[in-house]
Amino acid sequence: MNTKTIMCPQCKTKFTIQGNSGEKIQVVCPSCGVKGVFTFSIDQTKSTITHDSYAVEINDLTKKFKDLVAVNNLSLNVKKGEIFGLLGPNGAGKSTTIKSILGLIHTNSGEIKINGFDIIKKGIEARASVGYLPERVAFYDNLTPLQTMNFLSELWGVDKSVSKPLIKEVGLEGAMNRKVGTFSKGMVQLLGVAQVMIGNPPVYILDEPMGGLDARWVKIIREKIKILNKQGATILFSSHILSEVENLCHRVAIINKGKLIAEDTVANLNKYLQIKPRLEISIPGLNGEVPDIIKNIEGVEIANAKNDTLFITCESYAKSKIIAILQNSGMTIDNIKTLEPSLEDAFVKLIERDA
Amino acid sequence: MKVLNPKAIYTIAKKEFMDNIRNKWIILLTLIFVILIIVFSYLAGGQSGEGDVFGGLQNTVFGLVGISSLLIPLIAIILGFSTISGEAESGALYVILSYPVKRVEVLIGKLLGLGSVIIFSIFLGFGLGGIIIMASYGAEAWGGYLSFIVLSIFLGFIYLSLSICISSFCKKRVTSIGGGILIFFWGLIYGSIVLGILFGSGYSFEDFQTGNVPDWFFNSVVFSPGDAHQTAVQIAFGVRNIEAMGFSIEIPEFLSMEMLLIVHFIWFIIPLILAYFFFKRRDL
Repeated sequence: MNTKTIMCPQCKTKFTIQGNSGEKIQVVCPSCGVKGVFTFSIDQTKSTITHDSYAVEINDLTKKFKDLVAVNNLSLNVKKGEIFGLLGPNGAGKSTTIKSILGLIHTNSGEIKINGFDIIKKGIEARASVGYLPERVAFYDNLTPLQTMNFLSELWGVDKSVSKPLIKEVGLEGAMNRKVGTFSKGMVQLLGVAQVMIGNPPVYILDEPMGGLDARWVKIIREKIKILNKQGATILFSSHILSEVENLCHRVAIINKGKLIAEDTVANLNKYLQIKPRLEISIPGLNGEVPDIIKNIEGVEIANAKNDTLFITCESYAKSKIIAILQNSGMTIDNIKTLEPSLEDAFVKLIERDA
Repeated sequence: MKVLNPKAIYTIAKKEFMDNIRNKWIILLTLIFVILIIVFSYLAGGQSGEGDVFGGLQNTVFGLVGISSLLIPLIAIILGFSTISGEAESGALYVILSYPVKRVEVLIGKLLGLGSVIIFSIFLGFGLGGIIIMASYGAEAWGGYLSFIVLSIFLGFIYLSLSICISSFCKKRVTSIGGGILIFFWGLIYGSIVLGILFGSGYSFEDFQTGNVPDWFFNSVVFSPGDAHQTAVQIAFGVRNIEAMGFSIEIPEFLSMEMLLIVHFIWFIIPLILAYFFFKRRDL
């Protein structure tokens, strides 16, 4: 379905109409009632889809490793200007998908485009529009960050004067002349982020950018992703931890066993996955009985008790209400624990439902 | 195939070359070559029995070539065996190949960069050594000596091409070490096979010792780059017969300088083409 804004030739009122490409429709002006005919063009709409709207397009991607089907007929589109999360448990095919996008591995079938350039037919142009951070990024141990960045920027085809500012941007200026071989994992990852920005590409593809890093580094990388996105870049990154993507991504795709399970906004996905927190509330003197007042609260799904601990599965919005009602009824709350369900749990649910 | 980007090739080559300057390998190699030349010249001088400290260029090279035809392949293999497999395993190659460069450019860059290390160290090492000999003994057969330097570099490139081929094919650094060992000992393995065929076809050990061997036995050096190199070095000095244990054996007509250069070139280009296909098809 295409949307087009047209102007009434009679009264100059502007209004929008909808129709499929190539379709001829009757138009009636909403203000003066003049009738007319409008034909939607065919080619124009098609080319806008392939070149203007998507930063990354994957169509029917399949990759087999001997007998193992790592990616199975996967289709995905990442819109320009969005932060897109590729989620899945370990071994779901995330890295394989990402490596296929970059042309680092050869696919069995499928078509991949970055910024409208086919990765096989227009490999140089496609790779010139993307910055890639590999899952286990590594550089040359014997080089300093400056030597590394000088080499990489020259290889990319830009002047090596970009090296120092980029190293400073990720906060590695203090280690400018140390050998990369002496770096911690987080520092190597930051250098990885610095090299990603060489050439100012419009698309960034980051494979587990926060994987195995401590909170401080994670924060730096999250901020960097946000800034790049604000500057207009499209970011595709993978993760196996739901909380990493929740507040960062505009849209998320979930893959498992090489197949796309869901592709949606985070809010819709939460609904779809039925991800609900579980509360563990310690109340002295509960003695394994569920208080009646709990059962009537809206949003509570399951409530049960064991000894002095109350277990409640509920909608997120009901959490504070439950605590308030419990306290108002005169119970003493010793401790509260909220257990957010892991993505893996959600997967099990999803797969069970699919089967 | 579209045109290659010389800037990308140059950048890769420069990096490989600079690595060997940073880790001082290039200095070590140059020193090894100078010392080798001097030592063999000294040995050749002692043999002459005319009181010279150093031997002439030709005798020096004839003594040296048995060692250099092993040492140069060894160096080339060490330089190239993990250049692709090692970087693929460590992960550095992931970044490189996600850049707007072609794999063939990376391959050629590596060959030229590592090749420059060989050119530089052999030229400087053998060059300096040669100058010392010429200064103390005389410049006889300097043309042959110059050919020897060029042929040594050529031999280095053959084994570099072979080791890069191994590196493109092997998934891991460890397996490419195995491949490197195989190509290093190829001359020995192949020599044993040919010798086996010789004895199997009715020739005795005595025939072998006295040089009573068929031409095909000689011509078979074309399948062993090290032996082909040694033969070419002899011919470069204008020597077409081998003197050993009182017997003189003529090198067959078939093994002309042109023929040997073609053999060298084939040994260089085929592994390189294979390396290109292995690398192009490689999954990271």
